[in-house]
Amino acid sequence: MIVTSLGYRYALVLTALLISAMTLVSCNGKSVSKTVTVYVSEDQVFSEPILQDFEKETGIKVNAVYDTEEANSTGTMNRLIAEKDNPQADVYWANEPIRAEVLKQKNVTASYVSPNAADIPPVFKDPDGYWTGFSARARVFIVHNSVKDKPRNVMAYADPRWKGKAVIANPLFGTTTVEIAALFTIWGDDKAKEFMAAMKRNEVAISTNNGESADFVAAGQYDFSLVDSDDAVNRMRQGKEVTMVYPDQEEDGIGCFIVPNAVMLIEGAPHPEAARELIDYLLSRKTERKLAFDDCAQIPLHPGVQTPPELKPIKDINVMRVSYTEVAGKLIEIQPVLKAWMEL
Amino acid sequence: MVRRLTLAFVVILLLVIGLLPVLSMFVKSVIADGRLSLAAYEGLLASVRQWTLMGHSMVLSSLVTALTVAVGVPLGILLGKTDLPWRRFFTLLFVVPLLIPPYIVAVSWFDLLGSEGLLAHVLGASATRTTARLLFGLPGCTAVLFSIFLPIPMMLTMIFLRTINPRLEEAGRLVAGWRGVMKEITIPLVLPGVLLSAMLVFLLSFGEFSVPNFLRYDVFPVESFTQFSAFYNFKAATAAAVPLAAVTLILLLAESAFLRERTYQLRPFPERERLPLIRLGTHRRWLFASAAIAGLVIVIVPLVVLVIQSAGIDAYAEALDRAGGSLLRSLAYAVAGATLLTFLGFFTGYLVQTKALRYWRSVDSLTIFLFALPSTVIGIGLISQWNTPWTNFIYGTPVIIILGYLAKYTALTSRISVTQLAQIPPSMEEAARVAGAGWFRRMAFIVAPLARRGLVAGWVVGYIFSLRDTGITMLVYPAGHETLPVRIFTLMANGSPQLIAALCMVMITATLLPAGIAWMVPAVLKRKVIG
Repeated sequence: MIVTSLGYRYALVLTALLISAMTLVSCNGKSVSKTVTVYVSEDQVFSEPILQDFEKETGIKVNAVYDTEEANSTGTMNRLIAEKDNPQADVYWANEPIRAEVLKQKNVTASYVSPNAADIPPVFKDPDGYWTGFSARARVFIVHNSVKDKPRNVMAYADPRWKGKAVIANPLFGTTTVEIAALFTIWGDDKAKEFMAAMKRNEVAISTNNGESADFVAAGQYDFSLVDSDDAVNRMRQGKEVTMVYPDQEEDGIGCFIVPNAVMLIEGAPHPEAARELIDYLLSRKTERKLAFDDCAQIPLHPGVQTPPELKPIKDINVMRVSYTEVAGKLIEIQPVLKAWMEL
Repeated sequence: MVRRLTLAFVVILLLVIGLLPVLSMFVKSVIADGRLSLAAYEGLLASVRQWTLMGHSMVLSSLVTALTVAVGVPLGILLGKTDLPWRRFFTLLFVVPLLIPPYIVAVSWFDLLGSEGLLAHVLGASATRTTARLLFGLPGCTAVLFSIFLPIPMMLTMIFLRTINPRLEEAGRLVAGWRGVMKEITIPLVLPGVLLSAMLVFLLSFGEFSVPNFLRYDVFPVESFTQFSAFYNFKAATAAAVPLAAVTLILLLAESAFLRERTYQLRPFPERERLPLIRLGTHRRWLFASAAIAGLVIVIVPLVVLVIQSAGIDAYAEALDRAGGSLLRSLAYAVAGATLLTFLGFFTGYLVQTKALRYWRSVDSLTIFLFALPSTVIGIGLISQWNTPWTNFIYGTPVIIILGYLAKYTALTSRISVTQLAQIPPSMEEAARVAGAGWFRRMAFIVAPLARRGLVAGWVVGYIFSLRDTGITMLVYPAGHETLPVRIFTLMANGSPQLIAALCMVMITATLLPAGIAWMVPAVLKRKVIG
């Protein structure tokens, strides 16, 4: 008797729990034959339309996890590392290639050479196929139009002429930290450390991110800043009093640092076939063209894909010749230097 | 026996959902290569920066606590103890900022005072340079958190005012004026509530990350977050979270030592019992004007800014197009979360109220500890515990989000249940027991119906907090299951301000709607019954 009445009561509780569970599942319950899970650190506002187009064109349902700006676009990468032994994602779309290198070193990614990447220059691809670059940003100077004689190379940050007039985004995060690591690989540690010390002596201001740096310059609070090309193009399109300058373009200059997006297959991906289809799609000329003419204004890496008027085609830019593998290694190595520089 | 078994099951559930993830994270942080290692903690202690950040957190939390208590307690007295006109409206108005995600309030103030905000369009960019500078930093952070947490001391003061036996004050009034009664009787009796509210505001400000991060004021939770997001160092991230947990524990121990008995005995007098009100007389007008101005500045202005910023059908059409699915998911998860929170909170509250198990006090402390713990810590703990091939049915589905809600917010529904259950005479349940009713029958047909107001209030609170959650959801949501607050966060990177403002308005509406219905329905029913 007791057992029966207990069973009845527990059944009531279980039913309630079941209804809650069904509510959850019903939100989840579209029966789609093929799905692909992608983690994305490119801004959602730009990446989502591309993924929606992929869904429409292929019928493959895309489940995406996007990064937030709060996480400085590293939240998804942390999840990939945390989920290494039990991968949930099939594809990772990173907004720069260094994370791809870190993930390769941590055995999180798998090799896949997409046929669509054949004519992307080798410098923007991993030789073993662990990641492939596409649609890039250039690291450029955004300069206020009131500045007559514009800075021409990154050493301007150390030039006393610009003392207290320049700003740079926090070098612990994002593309700024990657560029600093690239400078360490090009110049060597001693010269790069001297450059950092000179920046400090020159009272270079630190902003939270590239967007904020661009806003400071657009508002005339500082003369110039190193930012991503999309930050500069956006301010120019908004009619701000700013100009974009590609740094170090002299023949013997170190060149402009290029930051391509990178796409990679996850080791042990639950849906490898759909993952390859998505990677092929992202590496297509069509996707590069869309990303070039969207607000993110990215530079196509496929030869012959049209570039928006504000940007130079990749072939016309003196590109900084660095190995992203070396830059990734250097990035981890210089963390203590950067932390000390930031007085952390 | 059934009672003990069920309550023990609830306790085990709480341990598995809440404590285990946090413990597993801690254990992993002190083990390296299979051996005990404190390297992560040594690095933390050696850094000067950590102490600076800790100082920032202390200063921010202390300022927010001092300000909210200084304003919230008099406001609570004004709204709960005087004949001020529109008291109920003002009470609801001031509660609004607490119900919406904190960063939305920060976004709204940025839209108003930022260098390219609405004020800059009206007065020119140079005029807003100072306001923008103040907004980004300690003053801005303090002001925004003040507006969000002000309802806590206000509401707790009002609740504690209702627990004072009216006869005490009436007796006091025979020999003294209201000033003397307030000083000698009322204020001392609401003091535990004031201290409790101060503790809650301090803990919530201390663990708050989104507002200081948005307004560029470095606080201690940033360190844990930076270790996680910039250096991929989970051990250091855990180590950086330990001081946060330690401060939380210390304050909880203090609460346990000085306040606990007072707050457990919280027993509001029934509404039908007329509470003596202070007649404001000639002060009524200026106090009404002051409350109206405060409500205007703290609540209405930020909301109006969002409405202006999102003006136009296009922004709302885009918002629904981009986030319609997320909105529906948010509602479904919040409903499921609130329902389960009500269940769990009811049984936990029952355990605490009846002291049915020996370790009832520890269970109560655990729920409060988890509530005060930064969401990042709980989120990382949940990933660390549930991300295994055997538990994919939890980690790979929205169940992980619901577990996060249960871990974080059970304290709220539990405390509401404790307060409600305290008003039910034990004799009711006792009589049913003597008549032969089993424990479940007593719960279902005696206790739950008598506690229905508390259950409804708990459900609404659970719904609101589940819906507005970003900290845990952002870390654990499975692909394709993002909620609306997460969507707003991810779209904030380069999304148009109009779109973000429209999404914020949709979010606010979804949050406040059930609260509004829960407030209005009983009033309408009451009117009908009287009619």
